[in-house]
Amino acid sequence: MATLTINNVRKQYGNVEILKGIDLSLTDGEFLVLLGPSGCGKSTLLNMIAGLETISAGEIRIDQRVINGVHPKDRDIAMVFQSYALYPNMTVARNIGFSLEMRGQSKADRDSAVQRVAKLLQIEHLLDRKPAQLSGGQRQRVAMGRALVRDPKVFLFDEPLSNLDAKLRVDMRTEIKKLHQRLGTTVVYVTHDQIEAMTLASRIAIMKEGIVQQFAPPQEVYERPANMYVASFIGSPTMNFIRGTLAAEGDRLGVGLRSDGGPARFLPLHEAPAQADRWLGQEVILGIRPEAITCYDPTVAAGNPALVQVGCPVNVLEPTGADTITYIQLCGQEVVARIKPSDRMVEGENADFMIDMARANLFDPKSEQRI
Amino acid sequence: MSSLTSALPPAEGMGPRVARWGLYLILLLFAAYYLLPLVVMVSTSFKSLDEIRTGSLLSLPRDISTDAWTYAWTRACIGADCRGMAPYFMNSLVIVVPAVIISTLFGALNGYALTKWRFRGANVIFAMILFGSFLPSQVMLLPMAQTLGFLGLAGSAAGLILVHVVYGLAFTTLFFRNYYVSIPDDLVKAATIDGAGFFQIFTKIMLPLSLPIMVVTIIWQFTQIWNDFLFGASFAAGGAQPVTVALNNLVNTTTGVKQYNVDMAAAMIAGLPTLVVYALAGKYFIRGLTAGSVKG
Repeated sequence: MATLTINNVRKQYGNVEILKGIDLSLTDGEFLVLLGPSGCGKSTLLNMIAGLETISAGEIRIDQRVINGVHPKDRDIAMVFQSYALYPNMTVARNIGFSLEMRGQSKADRDSAVQRVAKLLQIEHLLDRKPAQLSGGQRQRVAMGRALVRDPKVFLFDEPLSNLDAKLRVDMRTEIKKLHQRLGTTVVYVTHDQIEAMTLASRIAIMKEGIVQQFAPPQEVYERPANMYVASFIGSPTMNFIRGTLAAEGDRLGVGLRSDGGPARFLPLHEAPAQADRWLGQEVILGIRPEAITCYDPTVAAGNPALVQVGCPVNVLEPTGADTITYIQLCGQEVVARIKPSDRMVEGENADFMIDMARANLFDPKSEQRI
Repeated sequence: MSSLTSALPPAEGMGPRVARWGLYLILLLFAAYYLLPLVVMVSTSFKSLDEIRTGSLLSLPRDISTDAWTYAWTRACIGADCRGMAPYFMNSLVIVVPAVIISTLFGALNGYALTKWRFRGANVIFAMILFGSFLPSQVMLLPMAQTLGFLGLAGSAAGLILVHVVYGLAFTTLFFRNYYVSIPDDLVKAATIDGAGFFQIFTKIMLPLSLPIMVVTIIWQFTQIWNDFLFGASFAAGGAQPVTVALNNLVNTTTGVKQYNVDMAAAMIAGLPTLVVYALAGKYFIRGLTAGSVKG
């Protein structure tokens, strides 16, 4: 149980800057997910917390203690590797107890600690086996057991589920979440999987090219992305980006969509953006998640002023079972909507949709930042 | 026949079968060609001198006699010293065993440091070590003689051990380095976090994983050092000479009647240990050479 503070941390290899000033701060028991594409520096940051990479500048603190120059074994952290990194020559029991063995604990103490962890992870029957005799999921559990046995202040996970098959991945994801709820230890978890990030994190740090793009709870990252990169990285299908102009109609502020031969459309905003005056008449990008565009339902629309009705041609339907992903044409731009299969749209025909403007985001087309 | 044994269509006609037997015949001829010297040596070593004089080179011994072996082992004259090959055989053992162990362990340590604790210039150092395995051994004679003199080890078994360790390090480092490259770095990272240091990781994790390459290295080093003649002849004095030098002296300094059976027995004695090592560890040798290509 500990706080973790990362203060303006940088990493350079020669002239190449991998991390360009990272600031993150975790309170006790938080579950931080570092999310980003490969090469964004998330694993480097994790290795720096672990002490496997040196810190070029800035400082990392665990419980207010600066750990920059502290040896990994003295940082009170434990790490689970993507490859599991189980020692092939040792039994499962010795793998789990190895860190205690290195710390000079007695055989009896080690055995009881190993038993406790094995019981927690339900791997008691595997203790005498070698890693080569285990399945992928079992190896994953042993790797977690090796981290758990020391009862560290911070757990570090480096893409721990990416070597598992799809079903096992989902199961282990839930298991990690349960484990965190039970133990309440601070966790830093690296992944490139947005679902893992959304389901596990108490806060997500989305990284790109060595910079944290947004550091916020999952729901906030999803609903109010800091920029277009974050908006497009999270969510599937990705958020619609509709080009338009910020305009006023009467006393209402909205996004005007240029017409391609057809009538121009005005989508009134539910809440005015900050610095609305500055953006009036300027080009903006309207970001709307597919699930915010649904089939028009007059009774629902009547009760919610944020819902705006639009009629559009339906281009393509992609049924996924639970929802039907629908590609529609809105003022010459292709927009994705998520509708219920029971709405029974027909490809090539016009249909009425409603857009929930309370869930709209506005972005600056040049800087791609949220307005 | 069935698709279980082969997906290929069955051979048709006599053509392929004749070709196959022809192949076997050629292989047999090659095997005989290679085995013949050994057969002559073994059979001659069990003959009496009379039989050698009267019989043919290729004939098998009529009465098997081990006299030549005991004579070569205990009484043959090596130069002026008539105690047989035994003391020189022991000399070789005293040199080979520590030299093999030390050079193998240091090779493993080098390979470990070069792959898992990559320091600035590691590749340059490895390239230089690698270069050492291309150096002809004659190049080392003079500088090594000076070094041994300086260290006060000239003419001793300890000096020869040092020579073999130094010369062998290039090879053993190469073997272990290439093997350790295939062991994932994450193991070392995990062990570091678990609290193991440089030597603990080496002894508790790397060495236990090294059995295949260790067998290869031991066979290689044992054969090289046991069969060495040049260093033994150059750096070992009189009673400290290894068995290869003793064999040469025995064969070259006999006066009077040439005792072919004793020469052959002595040569067999000098050559047996490497044969035994191959016979015992040969299958590990093949496995070790192909190790690393398969994920552990």
